[in-house]
Amino acid sequence: MILVISLAIAVMFAAGAYLMLKRDLIRLIAGMILIGNAANLFIMASGLRRGAAPILPVEEPTADPLVQAMVLTAIVISFATAALALALVYRVYISHYSVDLSRLSAAEEQQAERDEPMTEDLREGVRDDTDGEASPDDRRARAEAIR
Amino acid sequence: MIALPVAVLWFGGFVLAVLDGTRKPAAWLSVAVLASAILSTMALGITVYQDGPMSLAVGGWSFGVGITLRVDMLSIVFALLSQGVLLAALVYEVVNEVGARIYPAVVLFMGLGLTGLVFTGDAFNFYVFFEISMISAYVLSSYGESPRQFRAAFVFITVNLLGSVFFLIGISAIYHTTGFLDMYRIRDQMPLVQENPAILSATIIFVAFSIKLGLFPFHFWLPAVYTGTRPSVAAILSGALANIGTYGLIRFGADIFPRELRQAAPVLIALGTASIIYGAIQALSRHATNEVLAYSAIGQVGYILIALGIGGPAGYTAAILYTVLNSTNKALLFLSGSLRGWLAGAAFAIGAFSVAGVPPASGFLGKMALFQVGIAEDRPMLVALIFLGGALSFVYMFQLYRRRTAEIEAHDSSPWGAQVVVVMLALVILGIGVWPDPLLNLVERAALSLPEAQVP
Repeated sequence: MILVISLAIAVMFAAGAYLMLKRDLIRLIAGMILIGNAANLFIMASGLRRGAAPILPVEEPTADPLVQAMVLTAIVISFATAALALALVYRVYISHYSVDLSRLSAAEEQQAERDEPMTEDLREGVRDDTDGEASPDDRRARAEAIR
Repeated sequence: MIALPVAVLWFGGFVLAVLDGTRKPAAWLSVAVLASAILSTMALGITVYQDGPMSLAVGGWSFGVGITLRVDMLSIVFALLSQGVLLAALVYEVVNEVGARIYPAVVLFMGLGLTGLVFTGDAFNFYVFFEISMISAYVLSSYGESPRQFRAAFVFITVNLLGSVFFLIGISAIYHTTGFLDMYRIRDQMPLVQENPAILSATIIFVAFSIKLGLFPFHFWLPAVYTGTRPSVAAILSGALANIGTYGLIRFGADIFPRELRQAAPVLIALGTASIIYGAIQALSRHATNEVLAYSAIGQVGYILIALGIGGPAGYTAAILYTVLNSTNKALLFLSGSLRGWLAGAAFAIGAFSVAGVPPASGFLGKMALFQVGIAEDRPMLVALIFLGGALSFVYMFQLYRRRTAEIEAHDSSPWGAQVVVVMLALVILGIGVWPDPLLNLVERAALSLPEAQVP
């Protein structure tokens, strides 16, 4: 049983790590979810014990209820993180029409070039200021251009 | 009483989540909430300072069944530090105009996570608060919403999620080997655990916190994120969120795994040295302000790790002191680095001198504490390293400052409000440097709350 569970954890973790190396954001998030669930399975495994349901009054040896409570919490947390990351991907999609990380860096470079005329002189370091102030129209136009 | 700062932030966060944070009244409300949380933490701190650690079993459960909140001076110091940095960044952003309606609420939630995390006495509860602050940080890292911020956010989320997963695995490993989640009980049980499992769980936890802290072999995400995010977010990440790493290393290392910490001391010192040298050399070769600061952050945490590796009362005191000074320095530098005008320039200069360890600014206190530790422990190599690191940081901070003064002349100045905020932060740093006794006293008491430090 221990072998089966540890194999399952290992396979999930490996698959998740493989997906996380992809440039595609959806795959990246699928990888995150898999790794998170591998950790959840690990918690389950850390308190795995045979026994009756832990309901009072306790008469015979019971299973450990605490790990299940912990896993429940961890699942909720990883669910929230995954939802947040997916929302972020959606934001990237509506502003760039793409969910590819390399496209995103290309857009970043383009923006840096667009900012260049203003920052020709010694301003290298303070370029951050001009970020994020592009109007929605600007952004849409840029997304069209990338397309 | 113990739960008050956490409750204030929690309630305030919920209220602000439904309000529009871009409106001035709502934004100032968030500042008021954070300020009242700081005041209640201070009140709690005075009680703890006089009467010693306090604890509370949440929800009316008996001790050992319910989740415990436990507050000692170490928690108070870290809570005040994180809340102070958050307050500075929040006021800066409010004065400068908030760009997203959720920003104030998220900052409050982050304060909640950081406060809860230092107040809790339960390892799994620690993880929960840790995730609350991490999720807030994920939201903050995309604040600004240009391609740069999105890319920084993805790098940040991916790497730190892995860190969180490692921490979770470490916690369940501790639970499996000791059978407890309460930190006091884990500590009592830990010496009975076999050596190998104990080292394994200690290593996993160390890796998890090193990723948060951006220590040398785990630093790869840090420059991309700190340069990509907005200045106030970078200040929060480096000044408040990175405290999780230091607090975690001190709490878990010195409190729960003292034996493993002592065994790993040579490794910690080696990693710290690598961090210092790597960070300083990279910072020397960079030009953009935020990039230099990011690499400087990697270098500065190396000192903290070395202090931890040396251990003992003096070592822990130096580690805590260095964290306090480093966080305030970094917050000041990131905030003032993007501003223009002579006030902001002066504030930046104070921060830069502080990092370099030039006396009137507070940074030299940390270097001096490490120096004393190095001499007391008779480690000439350490003294030489601190000297070398200090010299290198002086060079790169000076370069940075010179480049900035060239820029300032060429451009008009930023809004006065934001400049006043950074100047106040700079005055705090200067004040600590001029009159260090209260802070030194506080930090010493914080180190004494670790059982390891009490043994002569």
